[in-house]
Amino acid sequence: MTAVETTDAAVPVRTSSPAPRRAVAGGARRRRGSAFDRLLPYLLLAPAVIGILWLIGFPVVSVVVTSFRKLDLGELVRGEVKWVGLDNYTKVLSDPRFWEITVRTVVFTAVVVATSVVVGLVIALLMRQLSTPIRILLQVCMLLAWAMPIIASTTVYQWIFDQQYGILNKILVKLGFDYAGHSWFSTGTATLSVIGLLIVWQAIPFLAFSLYAGVIGVPADLYEAAGIDGATAWQTFRAVTWPELKPLLMMVTFLSLLWDFKVFTQIWVFKEGGPSGGSTTLPVLQYLEGISQSHFGVAAAVSVLMVVILTLLTVSYLRKLLQTQEGKL
Amino acid sequence: MKGWRGLAVGAAALAVTVAGCGTSPSGTTAAESSGPKTLTVWLMDGSAPTTLTDALNKEFQDSNKDVTVKYEVQKWGGIQEKLTTALTSDTPPDVIELGNTQTPKFASEGTLLDLTGDAANLNGSEWLGGLKDSLTWENKQFGLPFYASNRTVLYRTDLFEAAGITAAPTSNDEWLAAIEKLKTANASNPDFQALYLPGQSWYTLLSFIWDQGGDVAKKDGDKFVGSLDSAQAKAGVDFYKKLVDASGTKAPKDTDEAKPQQMEVFGTGNVAMMIGLPWELGGAVKANPDLEKKTSAFPIPSKTAGKAAPVFLGGSNLAIPAGSKNVDLAKSYLKLLSSKKYQDQLGAAGTVPGTSKDTASLASNPVGKALAASSANGKVTPATPKWAAVEAGQNPLKDMLTAYLTGAKSLDQATGDANTALTALLGG
Repeated sequence: MTAVETTDAAVPVRTSSPAPRRAVAGGARRRRGSAFDRLLPYLLLAPAVIGILWLIGFPVVSVVVTSFRKLDLGELVRGEVKWVGLDNYTKVLSDPRFWEITVRTVVFTAVVVATSVVVGLVIALLMRQLSTPIRILLQVCMLLAWAMPIIASTTVYQWIFDQQYGILNKILVKLGFDYAGHSWFSTGTATLSVIGLLIVWQAIPFLAFSLYAGVIGVPADLYEAAGIDGATAWQTFRAVTWPELKPLLMMVTFLSLLWDFKVFTQIWVFKEGGPSGGSTTLPVLQYLEGISQSHFGVAAAVSVLMVVILTLLTVSYLRKLLQTQEGKL
Repeated sequence: MKGWRGLAVGAAALAVTVAGCGTSPSGTTAAESSGPKTLTVWLMDGSAPTTLTDALNKEFQDSNKDVTVKYEVQKWGGIQEKLTTALTSDTPPDVIELGNTQTPKFASEGTLLDLTGDAANLNGSEWLGGLKDSLTWENKQFGLPFYASNRTVLYRTDLFEAAGITAAPTSNDEWLAAIEKLKTANASNPDFQALYLPGQSWYTLLSFIWDQGGDVAKKDGDKFVGSLDSAQAKAGVDFYKKLVDASGTKAPKDTDEAKPQQMEVFGTGNVAMMIGLPWELGGAVKANPDLEKKTSAFPIPSKTAGKAAPVFLGGSNLAIPAGSKNVDLAKSYLKLLSSKKYQDQLGAAGTVPGTSKDTASLASNPVGKALAASSANGKVTPATPKWAAVEAGQNPLKDMLTAYLTGAKSLDQATGDANTALTALLGG
């Protein structure tokens, strides 16, 4: 921890020293120079900003607007605009199932994110200790797992866990357990556990690689110093690795949160949110309302509520991100 | 300042990428008035035999110069979602096939072209009644009947003979007795299944519920409400469980007949019976040609001896999306398809033709005979646009069956929960 603070502190000290002050003054004069010079950065940014607003901003606004409309198949085809105020929100929020599904989604996301980040971190740390050939083997395996299309790996998992022909049940029977014809999808929780396992498996390569990049970025002399001071492995991790890795870890956790919260494909392909709606999460609800029942306005309201919930979940991280100038991460 | 420069370079790079996306060739430009045209036709998996469609498309292309028929076969799974997207797009297909239970939803929302005025041109006087009702909305016709079909019990004549069953079962008790005989005769085959019945074959369940005198929903004013909690409906669900238990089917209890395709399981040769549509037997025979001479069909038995249970009259309609760019071509395509020549081919393929009352070609084989015998007693699901949502989303009937068959819920609880969910879907 102290190591980080010293390097951080060194930077401002240098910039505020008298010698560079002249340079700063000179720079300011240049900036005051011509209007074109001042506008240039903004002009260069403009195409990207316009592009992003067009691609991302427009759909967002469109979803929010749709959530205040009654938009069923008929209205969509006829191009009718019917404003219903907050009706869609009232309908969604007054349904007890919505709250049940929200809690389920939040718990599911939390468990999946925590598991995948912890396992990813452990593998990243492990890779540091491995000999090169073994590490490359591990990396190739993870890369292959990562490159596998979502539907393909979901299908493979469905086969593994199949009630009659699944290899898992067959192995368990061979090992002497009574798992012949055992259904892994008899309850919503059981179904979500299997899906969670799949999502963790799919997420680990990205997390492990990102965190490994962070791990090898930690200066070796810090570990040397810790070794000389006689630190144990755990103390080294706490005092050297953790502080260096923390910003990166926070970022990948944040990203995982975003990705895992809106997972739809795997859940739908597995059991379409069943049995009896037991593995229905918010994205599945959105699909059921929108595509299955053609209540696109209600589905849009669910989307907006999802964004609100996600913002609440990530508010502390977002606040930190906004406070950090110059992108400390 | 260095930061600015870095950011600016990044921004410029991103802008180029974004612009690249924008300027990529933007697909097809619809040929409207003149020049070569493409007629996009979507028919469903298992509907019309390829011999029929090949001949039809060839004849149509020969008589319409510069027209190419883009014929695509769609899968039933997820078709409603696909149609919803396609019908609201700018370039929908020109001819589509719709399941009869799905048609009211699309007809009532104005996504289909009104064909009332063209009915006379499309053999309107010979349309099949049950299907005509399904495509009529507010006294207008939004399509034409394609074909109808219903489920029968498809069985292996050789295994029946070997088990000493001389006549096809004509009551539920005889059916269960036949299952016992088949099991005894094939006790040495560990993979044998007297009846393949997956847990969520809900069209089959409809037969049992109707046979007991119940129904899934009843009309209450201008709305439908669920009636799965009636004693008759419960008796139907209970008989389903009885069949599953008695047959010792290895089929999963939490999927329907399409996962895995039951015809593929039947094709392995270890299954004596399945409840399915004629095309499914065709699929099994295709996978295992030996079965052709060893298979036949009988109507789903009733609780009353000598009668056939009511069956769900499944079928398809043909329609032209309201947004089609080739309406006239689509109409002449449908006119050709509704002609007797092609309707007879539908009958020969084992389905009840939609625009021809002449079903002589149908009764030419045993499956067709069983089909004709039970289709007289055909029924349909509640005629409401809301029904489509029941099938497209999380079908309460399927959840009910799985919950009861796996023992997760009692009969009362399973039917009660499903009834609540069904009423909500039909009301919402």
